[in-house]
Formats: sequence, C-alpha cells, structure tokens
Amino acid sequence: MRGSFLSSAAQTLAELARRTEPVTLMEVCGTHTVSIFRSGLRSLLPENAALLSGPGCPVCVTSQADIDQAIAAASLPNVALCSYGDMIRVPGRGGSLREAAARGGDVRVVMSALDVIPLALREPQREFVFFAVGFETTTPQTALLLQETERLGVGNVSVLVEHKRVLPALELLAQDPQTGVKGFLLPGHVSSIIGLEPYEILAEKYRIACAVGGFEGEQILLALCTLLAQIVHRRPRVVNAYPSGVRCHGNPRARALIDECFMPCDSVWRGLGTIRMSGLKLRAPYDRCDARVKLKLPAAVNTPIPGCRCGEVLRGRLAPPQCALFGKDCTPQEPVGPCMVSSEGSCGAWYRYGRMGGRL
Amino acid sequence: MSELISLGEGSGGRLTADLIASVIKNFAACDGQKSGCEDCTFIEGNLAVTTDGFTVSPRFFPGGDMGHLAVCGATNDLAVRGVRPQWLTLGMIIEEGLPRAELLRLVRSAARQCEALGATLAAGDTKVVPRGACEGMFFNVTALGRAVTSRPLGMNHLRPGDALILSTTPGRHGAVIAALRYGLDRGGLKSDCAALWPLLEQLLPLEGLHCMRDCTRGGLGTVLCEWAEGAGLGMEIEEERLALHPSVAAICDILGFDPLYLASEGCALIACAPTETENALARLRCHPLGRDAALIGTVTAEHAGLAGMKTRLGGFRIVDMPVGEILPRIC
Repeated sequence: MRGSFLSSAAQTLAELARRTEPVTLMEVCGTHTVSIFRSGLRSLLPENAALLSGPGCPVCVTSQADIDQAIAAASLPNVALCSYGDMIRVPGRGGSLREAAARGGDVRVVMSALDVIPLALREPQREFVFFAVGFETTTPQTALLLQETERLGVGNVSVLVEHKRVLPALELLAQDPQTGVKGFLLPGHVSSIIGLEPYEILAEKYRIACAVGGFEGEQILLALCTLLAQIVHRRPRVVNAYPSGVRCHGNPRARALIDECFMPCDSVWRGLGTIRMSGLKLRAPYDRCDARVKLKLPAAVNTPIPGCRCGEVLRGRLAPPQCALFGKDCTPQEPVGPCMVSSEGSCGAWYRYGRMGGRL
Repeated sequence: MSELISLGEGSGGRLTADLIASVIKNFAACDGQKSGCEDCTFIEGNLAVTTDGFTVSPRFFPGGDMGHLAVCGATNDLAVRGVRPQWLTLGMIIEEGLPRAELLRLVRSAARQCEALGATLAAGDTKVVPRGACEGMFFNVTALGRAVTSRPLGMNHLRPGDALILSTTPGRHGAVIAALRYGLDRGGLKSDCAALWPLLEQLLPLEGLHCMRDCTRGGLGTVLCEWAEGAGLGMEIEEERLALHPSVAAICDILGFDPLYLASEGCALIACAPTETENALARLRCHPLGRDAALIGTVTAEHAGLAGMKTRLGGFRIVDMPVGEILPRIC
C-alpha cells in the first residue's frame, strides 16, 4: 500500500506544481535538509518547484567570530571546550575546532549539554566550556545545564552562548522584497517547542505558505504538498503536517526553562549579518557562567569572506551555481562559505546534484 | 591542505584517499599504484600481501576485541582477492601501564583467530612507549597468502550489468562502537567482526565472480564510490533491498549517521555476472556469515564514476564519498 500512497503523493505534488508559476520553497531546518537528501526527495520534485536550504542549520549560521571564540577557549590551558559533534569541523578565521584539537586544544564531543556535568565533576581543576549552539530545540538543554550547575554548585562549568531564535530570521527573509521564497517548510523540532502561533505573522502579514513537517521522507512529501496547495489556492496559513510530533501550543515547560535562563538579544548570523533580537543571552544569576566573561575571551571580529555570496543564497535570491566561487574555489573538501560547509547545505547539495547530470 | 594532520584524514573517504596519495607519491616504485589501490597487492606470482593498523577504542566490544579485529581485518583484505591467509606478522605498540592481563587477553584472541584460519605467525615486534604516547595499545598486522584461484579479481574486472551482492547487513561494527562511545543503548547489537575467508572461499569457483571488497572504514558507501571511480562505471543500489539491523537503524537515527558510511568488519560487497547471482547468493547463504546475503543493486554504464541509491520513496540520491570523520548531528 505504501508504494501507492507515495506515487500518488508525488503525483499530487507534480499536479499542484503544474498549476502555479515556478515556485521556490525553503526548508528551514538542517535535519530536513539531510532527510531530503537521503530520501532522494529532490529527484521527485516537479521541475518548476525549487527547494532551497534556509537558515535553520546551526552549522551554517553560527558566525565565524563565534567559532573563533570557541577555538580561543579550547586553546586556553586547563580549559576543555565541549561541543556538539558537527560543529567541530566548521571553519572560523583561524581554522576549525578540529584543527584546534590537532594543535593541542582540548575539544570534547558531547551528545547532550548535561554530559558536561560529569566531565566537570571528574576533573575539578579544569574549566569545562559548553559551546551552546542551536535553536529553540537545543536551548532548553542548555538551560537545564545551567540550572543543574547552580543546583549542584559546580564551579568549573561555563557556557559560550550562541543560541538563536528561528522566527526573526524567517521574518527577515519574508521582509526581503527580493526574496523568491513562497513557502516555508517549518522545522519540526523547533515547532515542538514554540508551537504554531509564532509563525502566523509569516502567513498573515507576508503571505508566505507555511507547513511544519516531520523528518521522514513521507512526512516531508506531505508537508510539501500542503505548501503547494496553499500557493495554488493563494491561501497562505500555518499547517501542522507533523501532528504526531508537534502540538499547537508547543511545549510550555521548555519555553519557561528558556525564559528563566535567557533573554533575547541581537545576534550575528553567518551569511545574514546581524538580526535584531534573534539571539539569546544569559539572565542573572546564570550570567555567572558566561564563558566570555569568566575566561576573558577576546572579542572576535566577523571578517566578510571576499566573493562569498552565501547570504544571497540563504535569502533565496541566488542559486548556488550563480556564485563565482561555486565548485571552483569553494567545494565540500575546501569550503569557503557556510552553505558549502555543511555537507547538505544549499551549495553542498547543489554541488552533488549537478554532478549527476540530467539524472536529477 | 592544513599544515597539521587532522583526525578526519583517518576516517576513510576522500581525505584518507588524499593522505594515502600524498604518501605513496614519494616512492619511486609502489605496487599499490599499479594495482589501483586494491585491498592487497600481488608481489610475486600468486603471493599477496597487505598491512593494517588497529587503534579501536574501546578495545573490547560486544562481538569482538582488538586482537580478533586485527587478524580479521588484515586477512579480510586478502580474502576479498581470493587469497588464502597463510602468514601474519604482529607489531604491538604498548603504552606503559597497560594491565598485562589485558595485553594477553588481546593476544590470545588474535592467536585463536589465527588458528581458526590455519595461518601462522611469521614475525612480530613489541615496543613499549611512555604513558600518554599511545592510547593503551596499537596493533599492526601484515598478512600474506597465496591466491587459490587463477581468475583475477578486482575493480578493473567490474562490468556493466554486474550484480552487487552484500554478504550481510551493513554497519554493525561502526554502530556498536558509536553506541559505546556516545553512551547509547545498543539493543543487543554486536559487532559483525569476523574473518571472511571461510565465507568468500565458497564463491571462488564461480566463473562470473568479478570483484569483492570488505566494507570497513568508510562503510559500504565508500566502497561503492571507490569502485565507481576506480572502474569508471556507475554503481546503483536500492534502499528497499538493503536490510538494516533494527539497532543499527536506531543508533543512526539518534546520532544522525548515515548507515551507508558506518564500518563493517565482517561484511563484503561482491560483484558478479548477473547470470551468477542466484548461485552466489545460494553459496553465501549456506554459511552462517552469509545468512543475510542479499542482492542490493547493479553496476551500470550510466553516470560513470558515481554511485547512487534508489530510495524507498522512489527518488534517487547520490552516494558520495564521505569527507572527514562521521560526527553526531546537533539536532
């Protein structure tokens, strides 16, 4: 039965696409990007529907200066930097965390923010800095780490906060008169925390179709169908196409945790620049754990990469091959811009598909 | 390229291939270049040699240990080219402070596997280094043997239309090690670590057998890419035919890993003429190591140099050479 559901879903997608002008959709979340790649969904998309990867992958949007600060922390004596795995190969100005480790820096991969506490208890002489990146999905974990650190009185844990909020970036894209994006495939995990309501402004004010999607290929296909249907009928709204994982009101308890430990602040996004109130900073008393203050980390500067047009790619203004660096100076082995850094970012994905010739 | 060697260069895939190339080019004469970087090299007539280093952490894991792995890993590189493993050398770099009992346990495990294969320890070496100079202990094994078939096997014998057969479900070793490293429940999963010679020997009489490779570091995906690039042909597999152990699927799901790139240590990819498919599958399935053998795809003349997978969803994706080490995703 599965085969028939899928072929009819793909057919529905194609039929809907035929009824619209060429349309650009954007998947916001990095996990969607990976799943779309692995399930071969891109090859099933109708010709006039393009799918871009948006600013929802922490690997892509954490700024170069923040990576440089993490590297600076990891390189200090008696300091261990604890990071989620896939951040450690993202290049800053002076290389990546992985390269910092090769130079003798202490970099530990953790699966969860709370993994830092047992590490810190085992080595009380060493300062453990958690590189807190990611969106509303990972922020509650950092909040828990901060609360546990306080509760247990662990003195050698600090946090390098680079958490971001999804909505301000989406609003920035929506406000951009040049953006080609007509529909957002919204992140399932983030939405399970923040719920559906915050997205309503995108549909109502900016007339962009919205659908929260799950992470299996089938679920994404369903979400894409609902996006195209909204576009065809010119009735943008926020559809929950992932009801098994996302409740309308999200997770109030997780949001309360975030609010207790953090407050919004401006934040620099790689490729997009500073976005107002799109970041989070520590609230008292948790600001005692601010690694920047505790370790007196030097302020790092964001240096624009000459020729890199990732910002335009992330805004949906430019297709990756239109960038002069694409495939020449900027490849998955030697990435220049953030969209090539993450192997499944827009440019990384495009690099691969292009090589399949007419097949995809 | 960075001035310092990074861990990613040891993970199989593209960076490892570049590292190896940068080493080999310094040698005026290198048989490895001639044979197109196959698993082992024929040095004289049917005499073949291979060498392999082992640094797995943890050293003991469900389904095996580093001693067992060292003998299996090195001899499997011979077995996939139709070579019966006959002699081994064992080099050991031991960190000061390693419990003697642990060393002996690993060595006995290696010895048991040697005996099971009928191979002889021909030479060995021990070095003890100060604490901190190596993590517990490293092994290096060189294996030698003679080919028992006169039919040459290797990438340059791959032909469009060849059937691609996988001898068992992929990724079990890599998934077990990842679960142990990242503190996940492995749901009873064991490493597939095994000596493949007794299994692959069954295939050698087949006229249409063209190429075999064990899917170690870099996994099935890397082998497919190496074959595609090495033979200048396309490799196409079907997700629907590729059975995964449920625990491998679950561990990959949690960590964001792609099972195609997880290491196996007792799993071979086999290419044979399509007319031999049933015969090959029947022979494999008779052996306990090949019970789950399955036809997973074909070699094509299309999209030469690239590997791809038809997905369950009916789409098509590229199976690319991985770049750098496999790291857990953030969310």
